Amino acid sequence: MSLLDATGAAFRLLFGGDPELWRIVFISLKVALLGLAIAALPGILAGYLLAMKRFRGRRALVVLTQSLLAFPTVVVGLVLYMLLSRHGPLGSLALLFTQNAMILGQAILVFPILVAYTLSAVQGADPRAHETAVSLGAGPLRAALTMLNETRFAVFAGVINGFGRAISEVGCALMIGGNIAGLTRNITTAIALETSKGEFAQGIALGMVLVVLALGVNLVMAMLQGEGGMK
Amino acid sequence: MRPLLRLDHLRKSYGERHLLDLDGLEIEAGHAYAVTGDNGAGKTTLLRILAGLEPGEIAGFEFRGVPLTHGRLPDNVRHDIVYVHQHPYLFHTTVVHNIGYGLAARGIDGAERRRLVEEAIAWAGVDHLRGLPPAKLSGGEKQRVALARARVLKPYLFLLDEPTANLDGEARGQAIALIRQLVQDNGSLLIACHDRELIELPGMRRFHLENGKLVEA
Repeated sequence: MSLLDATGAAFRLLFGGDPELWRIVFISLKVALLGLAIAALPGILAGYLLAMKRFRGRRALVVLTQSLLAFPTVVVGLVLYMLLSRHGPLGSLALLFTQNAMILGQAILVFPILVAYTLSAVQGADPRAHETAVSLGAGPLRAALTMLNETRFAVFAGVINGFGRAISEVGCALMIGGNIAGLTRNITTAIALETSKGEFAQGIALGMVLVVLALGVNLVMAMLQGEGGMK
Repeated sequence: MRPLLRLDHLRKSYGERHLLDLDGLEIEAGHAYAVTGDNGAGKTTLLRILAGLEPGEIAGFEFRGVPLTHGRLPDNVRHDIVYVHQHPYLFHTTVVHNIGYGLAARGIDGAERRRLVEEAIAWAGVDHLRGLPPAKLSGGEKQRVALARARVLKPYLFLLDEPTANLDGEARGQAIALIRQLVQDNGSLLIACHDRELIELPGMRRFHLENGKLVEA
């Protein structure tokens, strides 16, 4: 099949409502969004605390977070595989090759992004913001929520970026999801499989969905940066 | 009569440099005090220490007759003292939200908060600003919103850091008029300032900071 034929077939799959293709897209979105949702609160909280508190080992945690940003997804997948495999310490949970394992993996991948963005946003915020909140009588929780609201564009950029990483990574999803059709096959693992079989049509169709999602994510980021620049 | 605020010996150093070495400070309720001094004399630092925003070595601290350990101000004291920055910071929300922020922190909600906020807006003459994003306000407008935001809380003590610095003309006059009202309403104020007109407001008492010491001017 030529590239042109494959692309034509991809469009037919996309707009013909191919149930298998759209199920793969649905699994991708579900796993990425749930992973993001699980990581959001602890990630943003950890970033805020790292920015605001001074304690022993803080510097090491900041360096660790920055290092995790560049951590290969396949290594995260490998570690999780060993933990979740039948003879691993978490084997009894029977999570390996399930969507829940993929969600856990995505949450772990997204967590350092949320920490790093929130840390950078809060650390870079005007110090008068927190002082004003405290001086007006805000307790720690209200002051924290105020700071996150003041830096909302930068923090939300972290959320968007985290979603981008979750939806587009392949290593972790492949290793702990197992690429099981209808269950753990997502966009990236399906593209890898179809390409290896020489079946380009579905790969191209899914690739187009992924590109549209990536463009959407970047569009939202650009809009947020525009909004932030309005301040 | 017991002073509103009394502190015994306050010391603040940055490395080898002793910025403040005060033997004591007393502020009586219902009086306004201007703290003058050269740039870098420690006026802002003194106010920030009293607001609990910066640590300082303090031998004894008493507020409204209650002795305190001045590590972190307890909530009830933080609610009684309001500090206003030289360049006030307004949250990126709305003017109304900014003025009501401290009330919300005190659990004052609903109709009562709206009433108090409206009263403060009218007092500061900022009604025409309510629809604007705070970032778009001028320095003078921000100062007036910040003064309204502080006054609405009816604090026992206002700490104002150079409230007219970088303001000129009408904006400066409007800020001074609001501070004059606070003084006339028997508010207790400690104001770091250079502004001659502010220092010479009727009823204003004066301190001067020099070489880390506070002397009555």
